[in-house]
Amino acid sequence: MHAPVSNPSALRTIGSVLVVGGGVAGVQAALDLTELGFKVYLVEKSGAIGGVMARLDKTFPTNDCSLCILAPKLVEAGRDPNIAILTKSELIALTGEPGSFTAKIRKQPRYIDEEICTGCGQCTMYCLKQIGDDYNENLAITNAAHIDYAQAVPTSYHIDAKACLKLNYDTCGLCAVACQAGAIRFDQQEEIVDIPVGAVVLAPGFGRVSEEVLGRYGWGRFADVLSAFEHERLMCASGPTGGEIVRPSDEKHPRKIAFLQCIGSRDENCGNNYCSSVCCMYAIKQATLAREHDPNCEITLFYMDIRTHGKGFDAARERAVAEGNFRVIYARPPKVEDVFDGGLLLTWHTEDGQHQYEKFDLVVLSQGLEAPDDAEQLGRAAGVELNRYLFAQTGNDAPLATSRPGVYVIGAFQGPKDIPDSVTQAGGAAALCSGQLAAGRGTEMTRAEFPAERDISGEEPRIGVFVCHCGINIAGVVDVRAVRDYARELPGVVYATDNLYSCSQDTQRHLTEIIKKHNLNRIVVSACTPRTHEPLFQATLREAGLNRALFEMANIRDQCSWVHMHEPQKATAKAKDLVRMAVAKAAHLVALPEQRLPVTPAALVIGGGLAGLTAALAIAEQGFATTLVEQGGTLGGRALLLTADRFGDDPRKAMQTLINRVTRHPRITVRTKATVASISGYVGNFTTTIAGETGSEVVHHGVAVIATGGMAYEPQQYLYPDSDRVMTQLELEKRLAAGHPLGAKMKQVVIIQCVGSRGEDLAYCSRVCCGQALKNVLRLKALAPHLAITVLYRDMRAYGFLEDDYRKARELGVIFTRYAADNPPRVRAGRGKASPVKVTVFDPILGQEVEREADLLVLSVGIVPEDPSLLARMLKVPVTAEKFYLEAHVKLRPVDLAVDGVYVCGLAHGPKTMDETIAQAQAAAGRACQPLAKGSISPEPIVSHVDPDLCIGCGACESFCPYKAIKIDKEAKPRKAQTLTASCKGCGVCAARCPTMAIDMGRFTLEGIRAQIEAFGKGV
Amino acid sequence: MSQAYSPNILGFLCNWCCYTAADSAGVGRYQYPPNLRVIRIMCTGRLDPSFPLEGLAAGADAVFVGGCHPGECHYQDGNYHALVSAALVHEALARLGVSRDRFLIEWASAAEGPNFVKIITRFTEQAAKLGPLGSSEGLDPLVLRTQLNLVAEAARGRKLRTGLLNASKEMMKVGDFKRETIADLVHDKCDKTLTELMGEFAP
Repeated sequence: MHAPVSNPSALRTIGSVLVVGGGVAGVQAALDLTELGFKVYLVEKSGAIGGVMARLDKTFPTNDCSLCILAPKLVEAGRDPNIAILTKSELIALTGEPGSFTAKIRKQPRYIDEEICTGCGQCTMYCLKQIGDDYNENLAITNAAHIDYAQAVPTSYHIDAKACLKLNYDTCGLCAVACQAGAIRFDQQEEIVDIPVGAVVLAPGFGRVSEEVLGRYGWGRFADVLSAFEHERLMCASGPTGGEIVRPSDEKHPRKIAFLQCIGSRDENCGNNYCSSVCCMYAIKQATLAREHDPNCEITLFYMDIRTHGKGFDAARERAVAEGNFRVIYARPPKVEDVFDGGLLLTWHTEDGQHQYEKFDLVVLSQGLEAPDDAEQLGRAAGVELNRYLFAQTGNDAPLATSRPGVYVIGAFQGPKDIPDSVTQAGGAAALCSGQLAAGRGTEMTRAEFPAERDISGEEPRIGVFVCHCGINIAGVVDVRAVRDYARELPGVVYATDNLYSCSQDTQRHLTEIIKKHNLNRIVVSACTPRTHEPLFQATLREAGLNRALFEMANIRDQCSWVHMHEPQKATAKAKDLVRMAVAKAAHLVALPEQRLPVTPAALVIGGGLAGLTAALAIAEQGFATTLVEQGGTLGGRALLLTADRFGDDPRKAMQTLINRVTRHPRITVRTKATVASISGYVGNFTTTIAGETGSEVVHHGVAVIATGGMAYEPQQYLYPDSDRVMTQLELEKRLAAGHPLGAKMKQVVIIQCVGSRGEDLAYCSRVCCGQALKNVLRLKALAPHLAITVLYRDMRAYGFLEDDYRKARELGVIFTRYAADNPPRVRAGRGKASPVKVTVFDPILGQEVEREADLLVLSVGIVPEDPSLLARMLKVPVTAEKFYLEAHVKLRPVDLAVDGVYVCGLAHGPKTMDETIAQAQAAAGRACQPLAKGSISPEPIVSHVDPDLCIGCGACESFCPYKAIKIDKEAKPRKAQTLTASCKGCGVCAARCPTMAIDMGRFTLEGIRAQIEAFGKGV
Repeated sequence: MSQAYSPNILGFLCNWCCYTAADSAGVGRYQYPPNLRVIRIMCTGRLDPSFPLEGLAAGADAVFVGGCHPGECHYQDGNYHALVSAALVHEALARLGVSRDRFLIEWASAAEGPNFVKIITRFTEQAAKLGPLGSSEGLDPLVLRTQLNLVAEAARGRKLRTGLLNASKEMMKVGDFKRETIADLVHDKCDKTLTELMGEFAP
């Protein structure tokens, strides 16, 4: 239910949350929770967070580099003082009540002290014991002392206890000698810790289909049969082959690759009847990339149904298939055989019963997702019920709530799903925790307190330079002391020294002392990369009373000593150049004021359907005033047209409860028969005029949620709406809910899928129609078991657990006939008005046309969004060609829009089911409450600023700014550009394009960069 | 040209892709020639058209700009605007009689450490083949640097910048981000100003 979880007998509400699982879902939930004011304990089984997404080369449908978009989140989580990451840990028991649980955690030793390890990698280099590299699917080798992957968080190495020679045989121990930081701890022991938390989010991810199932397709026996996860690593530039797809047997490029789908999915033989939901799309991605790697290779994909039902997926797939010239075959080859003269033989039956066989060089098995290996153990520990496939049991109207109040589930453990859906659920669970624990918000948070900043504006530059040895990582190549001595002579430098590890805790303290003692006002650290370490040093500056913008780094490790290992003299010369350039820039750095802009602690939700109601309630539960605007006269929207869910419950009851809860909520103001007349402002500070029946009112709010919904497509084909015997699924729902839905003489029902969808009037797949058809088929069969039912479909997209309904329908004798897009069914009226309509379709199995007399013809029509044009223009947010709102990032920011402070959920974002809508609306509510919970926003001070004396008001900056963060103040005379600091992200396009150079960027100033260029020239 | 000649290369790398790729090349211990000196910028869209010209004037034999792949810009389309600035640099080099190969704008995603290494290795080899700026072109290096400084100054001037912003506007409007198209656009919008300016440089 939507019922908020109350914290019953708890003496107090604990403002911290346990998140189990450090994959993308868990990490996102943790980040969202700390933004909402809750301390997070992030428990991860392995040695690093990142999960499966960290192993992927690319992500569909955009083929973005996976780790590139994930790594910043991992670093953020690693740095957040309010996220405690417990690696090699698992939840073993959960006692207590919502609001006041005690989580018992078992923590295995890393044998390397996380706090001291600098991530230099010496231990791995000296480690004698080789082990399979799990991150690379055992296609490469690593050592017992290792880091899971280069970008792993924590950035600390750890030792595999099963393999380590020291731990098992008390020999070796070389790593302890090699580690200059002295971080090796062979005496670490397993610990059991009790952590008090108010709520729990389960995000353990998914398990893999067993090797035994893969073995049925030759995996393990034939070297060139790969699982998709193995193939993914081969594609990856950081993978075992450096990104070359080669056959393991002969290391040659495969010329013919076959992808086999549904390996361990949709397969009762291995107990997994469900569909894994993601494999169809990831196979397309892998095929596309394989083609990019070798434009000459031939690619064949074997599908049962092509289930690319996500937003934009069909379009991406069609483009990929056309551009890659992929062969798509509807068949399921039962096995893989090897043949005498090499190659792998596949045999299959086509739909018309023909027997085909062909040889391939490489076979990729699209391995399905299972419940995590330890699902039962976790279920017991957390006290939550599992479904028959050992995924967490959840309900249609509370998709993120487990059977135990206060324990939520997100990601693949809730059911197989892709990254955006997992990220969405993470946001939703954060919102639910935030509502449940509202009383404890902020109580467990650590806030960094810094002394007042020293005003240095009148001072000459007094630059301090700190050159890092990074153990031997830099000093082993670069002559660090020579660089230090060189730095001492540079203009503006009053102090220079060298440190063994600049990032270590004691050096940080030392740095603070030196800054104060020598009255330094600009700091240059010459060490590793600012991308990972700048925030650490900046925090130290603030502790020493300096503004964080007075800092610059010279990257003499990642971009110098590590890449010129065999040229120490040249590397030293380069290091000197880089330090000189950094010092030159530093002389121009100025303190940038930290912006704190106030936030109006209220939200506006536009749309009073399921999505809007859910979002409004979830925001109000978190403690914020919410105005809900609905253009219709009543609340509930089109979800009220659904009369049953797939479990047989009536969703209208839940809808009514939801409506009541919203209308009675003290923090929610409902405005029906009202529309948004205008919106202006930016995150934290929007002003909206609502036009209602009795006039207009002005509302101030910090954030806005768009939940404007969608409607059924109105078919104009198949005799609709002229024949009484032809109706849509929604009309059938209505009849099924009425007393006597079927005429007594009714013998046959025909259902046509994709009416108007997937290329007719609507280009996209509407995602829900297959599930709805299956649900209604089962309802019909329950009412009239002897009724003949035929479903004419293109691909049955019964993803996830809907596959159970598909199987059940077939078992009940429902006939499913595939039709091709270019040969759709034809419908004509019967003789009399009362006679059945005749449906003709080509049956690929029979190889001929068949005609069916339908007493009832049901059309599964797609979903059309409410026209977004006006609102999108007012908010300056983009929409897709299909008129759905376009999210800020399809993978990682699925409910944010490009304009900060505006969020989207429900059908306005794309077609989705009720439970998906609820999860997404809760996610939007969670994201929307982040600025509200903080009470202020503090954008990074690298923003643009305009010199009004130089600005000519031409508006070029406004037209190029991707964030609408700079605009012409039309009131001013003459017109001048103005930065909206809250929206600016500091990219600098405006500065580069300003015709009068009136715009400059914080920290990356024209003068600073010119000084760098000039300093570069001095070394020449 | 002596065997020991080693070109000085200045690089402008965007924080999110190419700079990250350079870091990950380090993590992977991929080796490349030690000629590049990097200036980090948040986005290649920040690249002022004067920066590469000033870099060459300051003593670089070649300049590299590295950003995100087209369509993958962290800030949506900054790398397209960088192509506009780059087109001006190429146009100016051509008019000065300097090889266009001395300036390169390329892409490497954050995960493409090895790709970054390939690009830099190839570019360094190419710059080495070209030889020192100026003398290899048969130009007086000191005169050429003065000229480059003047063009850089012009690139900070209103006339050329108006041309570039018009080119950028048209590029965004048409949505064609091919390098040739952008080069043509920049040529159209800046030809007159450049001709006026370069006229003064006629040898």
